[in-house]
Amino acid sequence: MTAALVPRGLQARSAKRWLRRNLFRNPADGIVTVVSSVVVGAVLYRTVRFVLVTGRWEIIEVNQRLLMVGRYPEVHLPRISVSLAVGALVAGLVAGVVHARQVQAGTSAVAHLSVTARVADLLERFWPVLVGAALLLGLSSTTGPWLTAGAAVLAGLAGRLVGARLPTLVHPVIVVAAVVTPFALVAYLADAAGWDSWGGMMLNVYLAIASIILCFPLGVLAALGRRSTLPAVRWISTGYIELFRGAPLFVLLLMANVALGFFVPAGSAPGKVVRAIVVFTLFTGAYMAEIVRGGLQSLPKGQSEAARALGLSPTKVTVFIVLPQALRNVIPAQVGQLISLFKDTTLAGAAMGLFELHTISRAVTAQGAFSGQQLHAEALAFVGLLFWIGSYTMARESQRLEHRLGVGER
Amino acid sequence: MTDHDTAAALGDATRPVKGAPIIEMEGVTKRFGDFEALKDIDMVVGTQEVVVVIGPSGSGKSTLIRCINRLEEHDEGRIVVDGTELTDDIRNIAEVRRETGMVFQQFNLFPHLSVLDNITLAPRKVRKVPRREAEAQGRELLELVRIPEQADKYPGQLSGGQQQRVAIARALAMRPKVLLFDEPTSALDPEMINEVLDTIKDLAREGRTMIVVTHEMGFAREVADRVVFMADGRIVEVGPPEHFFTDPQEARTKAFLAQIL
Repeated sequence: MTAALVPRGLQARSAKRWLRRNLFRNPADGIVTVVSSVVVGAVLYRTVRFVLVTGRWEIIEVNQRLLMVGRYPEVHLPRISVSLAVGALVAGLVAGVVHARQVQAGTSAVAHLSVTARVADLLERFWPVLVGAALLLGLSSTTGPWLTAGAAVLAGLAGRLVGARLPTLVHPVIVVAAVVTPFALVAYLADAAGWDSWGGMMLNVYLAIASIILCFPLGVLAALGRRSTLPAVRWISTGYIELFRGAPLFVLLLMANVALGFFVPAGSAPGKVVRAIVVFTLFTGAYMAEIVRGGLQSLPKGQSEAARALGLSPTKVTVFIVLPQALRNVIPAQVGQLISLFKDTTLAGAAMGLFELHTISRAVTAQGAFSGQQLHAEALAFVGLLFWIGSYTMARESQRLEHRLGVGER
Repeated sequence: MTDHDTAAALGDATRPVKGAPIIEMEGVTKRFGDFEALKDIDMVVGTQEVVVVIGPSGSGKSTLIRCINRLEEHDEGRIVVDGTELTDDIRNIAEVRRETGMVFQQFNLFPHLSVLDNITLAPRKVRKVPRREAEAQGRELLELVRIPEQADKYPGQLSGGQQQRVAIARALAMRPKVLLFDEPTSALDPEMINEVLDTIKDLAREGRTMIVVTHEMGFAREVADRVVFMADGRIVEVGPPEHFFTDPQEARTKAFLAQIL
């Protein structure tokens, strides 16, 4: 920062001093620096070479539709585009409304920034998603993805602009729309092709989102139940938590696939996707329950005492005083668990034969023109990258949320 | 046993110096496991009376007032607050808690709510006062405790003395008939003790019924109608402050006063 003010000779000397201080303080430091530089350099070189030179990415290019949406019927693909655009529109509306309310309440972190700075902020938040989208578009050989992405971006922007200008009276409508839309879109997509023909990344995302939405309330209820004064509630909650925490997820998925037939008459057994969602929900719900219980226990006793002394009923103490603080305190652990859930959706392929992203990536390396060419590295790298984008974005957004809610700074 | 008999002879804790009885405790005993925290307590507090409870730590002072709003459940005896007896009936407990406000040693403000929301939460959610009305009342109470400008801050942004004054405003917001103070200045830095004591003195002068557990003897002397001295879970001596501090009767009282004065 002050470099411009320092004479040239001094600058060179201070660069030398920086190197000495940070990298070559003593012989051991020097060795560590040299060895790690060589290792990092080699890894970087091989990675870049793989990505730019040796990698045969046409396997992704040719199979992109399969990897993204599996065997969803081609004639109905426009439904996916429409769903993404509608989803983007509603997300934009919600973002706009949230922004408007934050500005009104004076709690917005970005209201004072210029448009450029706000765009920069968004880029900083979502660059992995943008990079991923750019990559997918770059590797696509049809116009469909471009049209879809364009429609989604436009719809999102339109929603954001309109949302910020909606009168306060309409805000509840947006909230209702935000809750109803996911269900409506799922019904719309499933109406054309039953759930069991969903596949690819779309299926992983769907499994993850549905399970996240369901496991959160389940976890909170089980955590409260485990601390209940009613023995029956306590036993049921504890039994549920310990049972599902104790079993490997993979085994649970296998059981849902195979063993369900023993318990349910053949005709009435739900489809595989529903079973997978049930297993993911119950499994993650049990972990969420323990995380939330940790949050409940971290609260000083004085909090609920003060609330009870004011005359709040036990339910109100929980809803207004205990839960908001307990949940806020465990955001990092909760999001970690949800990231796990997202990544674990790949197990549904091996255990239940669902055509999720990872399973399809294995299949395409063995199929047609690519069979016997050992392109596993390309396929797996692609799958890994998509999951990394999702997980990293979730982690970043959770940090942002923590910061907003002031976790760790009472 | 003899201890108890002499205490009763010295000053009767069941005779308020003013007002009709509003808190009545009769033979109240409280155990934590094998430990008897309160032993056969008889005490009556009258309306508009200020009772200051003092005594060495572990003597049962806090347990005594925590039994009055059922934060602790007594094992034997009767406690009646404003005509409602504390039993297992949750309606009675709710009724008593609505009529009693409590201020804690550690403030126990809700850190996730603004100062104003801390104060208005109970009126809005328990008494169903509309938000606008509750907030107007909340701001008046902040005026009363002399920190109106802090309404929109969060508890973590206030000093200890300010936090405790918010806690007092919060307790007042339910318009309680009785105020219970559990060592309200013990967790404060010395320079903040007076601002809180002054606030409590204002309330005493307004004629509010209150029980204050404290180690502040100057404060006790100034505002108490009666001073209650407890040791080992019993009421050892009771008296108006002018007698209590200048002419204590019991050996234990004398020893305690000699230690702290």
